[in-house]
Amino acid sequence: MNAEFIQNLPTAEQAIARLRELGMPRRNNELWTFFPVAKIPTPEFMGTDFAAAPTDQASPAPQESDFAALLPIANNARPMVREIVAGAAEMAMLKCNNDFGHTVLEIGKGAKVSLEILDNKVTHDIAAERFDINVGENADVEIFFANPACDLPLRFRHFNINQAAGANVRFSSICRDTAIGRVSVECHLKGEGANFDYRSLHVLDGNASQHSRLTIYHEAPRTTSTQLARNLLSGNAHVSYDGSVIVGYDCTGVNSSQLVNTILMSEDASISVKPVLKIYHDDVECTHGNTVGELDAEQMFYLVSRGIPKLAAQEMLMRSFAQETFLPLPDSPAKKRLMREVNK
Amino acid sequence: MLSIKNLKASIEDGTQILKGINLEVKPGEVHAIMGPNGSGKSTLSKVIAGHPAYHVDDGSVELDGKNLLEMEINERANSGLFISTQYPTEIPGVNNVEFLKMALNSKRAFLGLPEMGDAEFKKLCEEKMDLLEMDARYRERGVNDGMSGGEKKRNEILQMAILDPKVSFLDETDSGLDIDALRIVANGINHIMSPEKAVILVTHYQRLLDYIKPTYVHVLRHGKIILSGGPELALKLEDQGYDWIEEAK
Repeated sequence: MNAEFIQNLPTAEQAIARLRELGMPRRNNELWTFFPVAKIPTPEFMGTDFAAAPTDQASPAPQESDFAALLPIANNARPMVREIVAGAAEMAMLKCNNDFGHTVLEIGKGAKVSLEILDNKVTHDIAAERFDINVGENADVEIFFANPACDLPLRFRHFNINQAAGANVRFSSICRDTAIGRVSVECHLKGEGANFDYRSLHVLDGNASQHSRLTIYHEAPRTTSTQLARNLLSGNAHVSYDGSVIVGYDCTGVNSSQLVNTILMSEDASISVKPVLKIYHDDVECTHGNTVGELDAEQMFYLVSRGIPKLAAQEMLMRSFAQETFLPLPDSPAKKRLMREVNK
Repeated sequence: MLSIKNLKASIEDGTQILKGINLEVKPGEVHAIMGPNGSGKSTLSKVIAGHPAYHVDDGSVELDGKNLLEMEINERANSGLFISTQYPTEIPGVNNVEFLKMALNSKRAFLGLPEMGDAEFKKLCEEKMDLLEMDARYRERGVNDGMSGGEKKRNEILQMAILDPKVSFLDETDSGLDIDALRIVANGINHIMSPEKAVILVTHYQRLLDYIKPTYVHVLRHGKIILSGGPELALKLEDQGYDWIEEAK
């Protein structure tokens, strides 16, 4: 196991101290700009005077700044620590037993790993899971979830991913949840040639409110990252996508792209997108794009003019929009699972 | 069969494009509509199909006595109307064969027929693809996705062959086709054509009419049919253009 990686993880006491320093999430904090922060219940350990927590007793985990990342640890989540040895090929399903979960994975050099994350069984109004994943050189890892719609009132999922040279991680998800949720990812591309591929699809209706927060740190030359987020929103559903790419000094040859495509199926559905690029080196290529629209009227006309009923035509176009999110993935358990879910 | 009476239609800004079209099409007939660019030929096909960009100001379009203008777009198609537009729309991600099967079974449901199963549909599809000399790649592709102009037109005729409409309105089906493709597509149309069906062809050139013999040729100009005649009219238009018609009036 990478001792440094494990040692840097905060303890429950450190997490509580840090949370008391940070205070409850507020919308003026850019990490939570779009999130309905008033819906987050204040944990008991925050006390009543957390806002005035003494600053001279700063926690030993100052690098942690995301409330959702600290919450499971502060709630004494029992960590599941697992090492996948170099060169291994492994398929696994991860499922927390409690409403607060913490998974630590150390993936060895050259390993090929497929991880499906299943929903945990929860009993409270809030659930939070944290995943710390250290990916060794030239390992190939897919992380995915495509669970049935979850009506849990509030759920957080935080991923902290470190990638060594040549490591390839594909992170893919489908969300149909009906309540409030947030997936946050911090990905550190630490070794030359590391690649991170992020694909998400939200198919939401009703009052669902789902939020994605990504921060990708390009910390080595010739690292690459791709973000593709697609949203099909009906009813009063709301999605926010807050994606940051940070390219460090001397990180030549970095290539990064971010694209958010949204189809609004109703007047009251909405999307908020905030791309952030912080680039500290000249020789890089970073792009971002955002499209919002309705189903293509000419495509609808074409299908309907062939006799296909309007609703069926809409479904065909929505399915094709959804499928395209995952079509570029290599044939793998993740692609098979995600495409099956899309075709339901 | 298809009866268009005093059809007037305009676009959103109120500009009237069709200014009183009258056309009677009987079973077994092939009608060629010719005319200069901007005369309203493509608009006519879209108005009949029910394209939402056009507003019908007056007139009627009846297919076998039923007013198409009172039907939903898909009902018009399922009643036996097939419209092939000049620039077929690309729909990436919607598989060509799944789309065709969905369209055919929508029509069958409309007509009260049972759904066609996979095996029977596959056989029908292969038969029609053979007719149009289409290779198996078409089966895997999205609807018109990334196809050349000629491939799209061939794909349109494949749809026509499978949906087996009573009346087909083919807007510039010959554009974008090379000589061999033109022959293949024209042969396909002739094969699909029968004494119970009718075809309306919009074209600028005689070359398509060398393969598909028209019963009547019409000249559409300024939103109206200003002249009708037999196949010889197309030859004269090819030779002399359209100005002589205005001058003769």
